[in-house]
Amino acid sequence: MKQKNNSYIGIIVLFLLGALMPFILKRYHLNMLTEIIIFALYAVSYNLLLGYAGLLSFGHAMFFGLGAFVAAVAITHIQGLTLLSAVIISFATTVIAGFLIGSLLLRHKGSYFALLTLAFNALFYAVATKWHSVTGGDDGLSISRPELNLGFTSLSVSSVSSFYYLILVVVGATILFCWYFTHTAMGKTVLLMRENEERMKFLGYNTNISRLILFTFTGALAGLAGAFYTLHFQFVSISAISIDMTTAVLLMVFIGGTGTFWGPILGAFVYIVFQNYLSNITDRWPLFMGIIFVFMVLYVPGGLSHTIMTIRQWFSGRKDNHGDGPIKVEETSS
Amino acid sequence: MIDYLHIKDIHKDFSGLQVLTGVDFKVIEKEHHAVIGPNGAGKTTLFNIISGKFKASSGAIMFKGQDLSGKPPHTLNRYGLSRSFQITNVFNELSVFENILTGVRSRYGLRYNFFKRPDHNLSIIEKTKAIIKEIGLEDVSDLPASSLSYGQQRALEIGITLSTEPELILLDEPTAGMTREETGQAINLIDRVTANRTLIIIEHDMDVVFSLADTISVLHYGKILASGAPEEIRNDQRVKDAYLGEG
Repeated sequence: MKQKNNSYIGIIVLFLLGALMPFILKRYHLNMLTEIIIFALYAVSYNLLLGYAGLLSFGHAMFFGLGAFVAAVAITHIQGLTLLSAVIISFATTVIAGFLIGSLLLRHKGSYFALLTLAFNALFYAVATKWHSVTGGDDGLSISRPELNLGFTSLSVSSVSSFYYLILVVVGATILFCWYFTHTAMGKTVLLMRENEERMKFLGYNTNISRLILFTFTGALAGLAGAFYTLHFQFVSISAISIDMTTAVLLMVFIGGTGTFWGPILGAFVYIVFQNYLSNITDRWPLFMGIIFVFMVLYVPGGLSHTIMTIRQWFSGRKDNHGDGPIKVEETSS
Repeated sequence: MIDYLHIKDIHKDFSGLQVLTGVDFKVIEKEHHAVIGPNGAGKTTLFNIISGKFKASSGAIMFKGQDLSGKPPHTLNRYGLSRSFQITNVFNELSVFENILTGVRSRYGLRYNFFKRPDHNLSIIEKTKAIIKEIGLEDVSDLPASSLSYGQQRALEIGITLSTEPELILLDEPTAGMTREETGQAINLIDRVTANRTLIIIEHDMDVVFSLADTISVLHYGKILASGAPEEIRNDQRVKDAYLGEG
């Protein structure tokens, strides 16, 4: 019970701190924080797939990119489309895409699954590049952020801080739901399937359907992150749907660690901050990101969250040994 | 009258290797039925077919008038079938409580819900605790399965099998690898938890078979050699020659 209350207090404190940020941070940093929250959702969605369900996908960017492009295309072509409708159209499209692709892929496991997701991502990338009339091809698409229509009133979210608040509330709440999801029946089912899929079948669980639902769900979350990415930059290019975007999420999750729910959020933070500072210093920032990735995999395979947990255990002087799966889902932060 | 369970002329060959060549026997409701036979007779294969892990090459499994052959394990579980495994097959990293909870919530339809937390459902928690009490693991309820003793893990294996409240229980060598003392406790446990349910058990240990079973079927080279009450089987000359040997 105490643990639970601590989690809730932690979440409230984080949201309050988040609400204060526009008064503390400069424009540049507030923009960066907005980007971090969007990428945190992307990383969390990937971790549900990799860390919780044990599915290694090299194609998560196809959903992120699809969400990003659908939002841009919808805003470009539909006059007077509100922000919320654009996001919903994006979300619905990625749900359908996730379901269709998932039904084709999920009979395959391990490396076959990974390679097939890579192939699908390449297919999406090829379509985005070649279908110039819709996606803008190499030029990308520029949009202007629509207003937020709340039914009774319309709010402009064109300023940095108002858009930041929108992201904090909507994306923050989505991430919070993901955290809650890990405690729900479906969240536990997915985690246990990774532990012992055979036993789950013999206990009445349809594991193929479960995997399909999770794949669709995480794809739709990535699509949502993609839609907000478009709205944030008011621009989308083919890099959003490229393999680089898959690599980016892999990096975030590896930096943060797959062992906890909040690890990938930390990973997204570190990744975006590093990327921003490195790209200011040098054009060859991907090289340095690559070196960091190699270093993390070799020397800190559990990621930063694992390191933090280990240090915390030293200080508290006790070994946490409650069987809650390899993922300590009780440890949380939004 | 419809038979409760009729294993009907089951054949199974693994790319040419004939393991089962026409297994045929009936199980009456609430009966405790043991399947015995020498190593390699095809007992586990038969179990895997009844529980849906393998598909039979031919034949049918008639359960209360419905053909269940070829149905996947999760469907069979919902018909009321549940099996245990010869090699302990539990969720090692999870506590005893969560192991049992997983089956109980499946029984009550809380499998894929995106919003409800199984650990917040009082009736599911009560059922889970009741099963843990039944298998005598209350003291270790919060410990991970991997930290239990072998005997406790076997009890947990049976507990998980019971957790979906099956009417037909299949136990695959539940006392394999146990000491005499542990075996005695396991017999008591199985006897207690399978009262009023139908049980099919594969077992090597004749003490276990004769203390639990009402009916025994002897599987020999992929066929049922004899089927009957324990006394008949004990005195059957063919069975003696084939299996019980000097016993």
